[in-house]
Amino acid sequence: MSELGRLALLLGFACSLFAVGSIAWGLRTGLSGPLRSGRRAVWAVCGLALLAMILLERALLTRDMSYRYVAEHTSKDLPLHYAFTSLWAGQEGSLLLWLLILSAYGSAFLFAYRKRLDPFYDAVAMVVASVMVFFTGLLSFVCSPFRILATPPPDGMGLNPLLQDPGMMIHPPILYTGYVGFIIPFGFAIAVLLTNRSGTRWIEEVRRWTLFCWGFLGVGILLGARWAYIELGWGGYWGWDPVENASLMPWLVGTAFVHSVMIEQRRGMLKTWNIALIVLTFELSIFGTFLTRSGVLTSVHSFAESNIGPWFLGFILLSSTIATALILYRKALLESENRMDAVVSREGSFLFNNVLFVALTFATFLGTTFPVLSEAVTGTKISVSAPFFNRVNVPIALTLLLLTGAGPVLSWKRATASVLKRNFVLPAFMGILATLVALPFGATGIYTLVCIFAAAFVTTTIIMEFARGIQARKSVETGALPSQVVNLVQKNKRRYGGYIVHAGMVILFVGVLGSSVFQKEAHGPLRNGEALAIGPYTLTLRGVTEQQKQNASLTTAILDVKREGKFVGTEHASKALYSKSQQPMTEVALRTTPAEDLYMILGGVNEDGTTSIQAYINPLVSFVWVGGLVMVFGTIIALSDKMRLRREEKFAP
Amino acid sequence: MGKSVRLTVLSLVVVAAVGYLILTGVRQTGMQYMTVTELARLDRAPKAEGFRLDGTVAPGSVVYDQRRPRLQFKMTDGKENIAVVYDGLKPDAFADGREVVVEGAYRHSDRALHASKLVTKCPSKYEAQGLGKDRS
Repeated sequence: MSELGRLALLLGFACSLFAVGSIAWGLRTGLSGPLRSGRRAVWAVCGLALLAMILLERALLTRDMSYRYVAEHTSKDLPLHYAFTSLWAGQEGSLLLWLLILSAYGSAFLFAYRKRLDPFYDAVAMVVASVMVFFTGLLSFVCSPFRILATPPPDGMGLNPLLQDPGMMIHPPILYTGYVGFIIPFGFAIAVLLTNRSGTRWIEEVRRWTLFCWGFLGVGILLGARWAYIELGWGGYWGWDPVENASLMPWLVGTAFVHSVMIEQRRGMLKTWNIALIVLTFELSIFGTFLTRSGVLTSVHSFAESNIGPWFLGFILLSSTIATALILYRKALLESENRMDAVVSREGSFLFNNVLFVALTFATFLGTTFPVLSEAVTGTKISVSAPFFNRVNVPIALTLLLLTGAGPVLSWKRATASVLKRNFVLPAFMGILATLVALPFGATGIYTLVCIFAAAFVTTTIIMEFARGIQARKSVETGALPSQVVNLVQKNKRRYGGYIVHAGMVILFVGVLGSSVFQKEAHGPLRNGEALAIGPYTLTLRGVTEQQKQNASLTTAILDVKREGKFVGTEHASKALYSKSQQPMTEVALRTTPAEDLYMILGGVNEDGTTSIQAYINPLVSFVWVGGLVMVFGTIIALSDKMRLRREEKFAP
Repeated sequence: MGKSVRLTVLSLVVVAAVGYLILTGVRQTGMQYMTVTELARLDRAPKAEGFRLDGTVAPGSVVYDQRRPRLQFKMTDGKENIAVVYDGLKPDAFADGREVVVEGAYRHSDRALHASKLVTKCPSKYEAQGLGKDRS
């Protein structure tokens, strides 16, 4: 069976090569035959990748230990669902998943545009196919998932305990759906340059594809944060770890793009900038995969070091060089149609937003790769970690949060003084009010206060925008307020979807603020019946139990939780010892309320019979997840908007 | 051209502000990356405070006081040792011979690194080598 898997990937490689060649030939000669066969070859790669995945899954599920990949990542006592998801526990399987999603995007793209017989779309497919060449090549010649062991072991190494978590089952596929999806915008950008196509239809199409994968990437990042929060057991969800940064960077540039693309649609400006942003987003997605998989930087999430680093770096260099050369070559195509009228305008604020997002990405990139860069420049390796990112990124992010309120209510072209007054006096007042209210609750520090001001400011502008929209529709709308809101959103899904995303961002910021600034910690060795006090809570140790599970033994501390003297529940903080790896694994006890999380960790049972318990109060953490969900909701609304095309675009080929 | 001047000034202000943040950030929070041998063989106190070290946990050197909690161990690169003190719970993957990265302040007087961060690399790659060769 492994031969069949190898063959599928090899054929995939051949088909990808054929697709690139055939489409290139078709584009050059204008013949439709080669274009058609090229498209079919893209479909074929998708089928072959699926076949390879099924074959590997079969081996994983039956625990066929003659497969190196199976022996490395599973064991016979591994529950079936984790055996299934261990496909993306290791490098080869992850790359196979990459390829599968990539080819699925290629096929979905061809399906979506099957009726549009325009060579432009073939050019996009060609770009997708050239990336497929890279991945099928890697999987065939550099790190095959179908390596067979000379002497199969009786049992496998087992799955890394950190990955035995429900979140880890879905986090990688969702993150990859985001990462890999940027291939389509990238393909559009390259196709525009290759075919020298002016016009704006593509920009509307690309906006939608980008929003789609941007949303998935966001969900992927949040799931990763949630996983870190529950599984890593250090009380936090974001540590500015290289791998976390790697997923954040394409999201940041993608966010810049979904904003600046509006200026291009509306005013025909920033064309070069937008293409550059798309290219950068895609390259950063590849870079993210590279960082996760290469072991260049130390990270809590890097599960393997490997030999594929140079290949990825080569691919990034090659593709970005080609893209840059094309941008320079087609400079005339990317001339701006308009000029900026005033700094204080919608365009101006979007430009500022873009500069800040790119600056944020740059600072993150610099901090993440600093050991490598400083060694190259000065000869000494300097490393920066969380304090650096907090210092540099927090002020930039807070400025962006303020802009979230200001940007959308500035008028296009030029905002007059009366517009500014009408739109900003009330929000600024609410902002100051919120800050004053927060002061007695122990809010100190400039960033905390700015964040509170900004949150109230932005919330007020969003509510005012909704109120204004409802007011304007007063004559046609008579229903109750909720139905008025729904109708308003339906009238302009893109705009109000955007506001909902902004509202989600505000909620998320409030959550981050609460959980980072106001976190409380307590720890102590407890005897049975003794209590640990933390904030309004007291945790009383009732006892410790031992228990044998399928592939691990579990030690559990049972804690009675009281809040302000009132019993609120019993919690179980555990440590599992996995029989295969003999590695302990902390299983956090988490008590979530909207206002705060009580986070309890079992340190272990001590020699003197006491039990070590560590506890955190993380205020407002739930806001982080809720904010994320609101953002997803807003993105879905914005995506459900119809294609908006200018009249001439509708009839464009 | 007041407008384009203003735009340029604005961009310059942003670039300057971000540049300032990055520069001071690196100066104040940057940690020098060193090997255990390099740090152990320093004959006088280093100028920099913060260090980041890569190495493995010297077998038999771990002293863990779970009650405080405080973790003490010797870190080695095969040639020299550095004592590490970390106040916090022992990470799950921490064990003798594991590869770890520590960040913290080095005190030359007691020749110990007081770690504020301890990351244990995943051990899977060592175990994987036990599987032997591929069938050719």
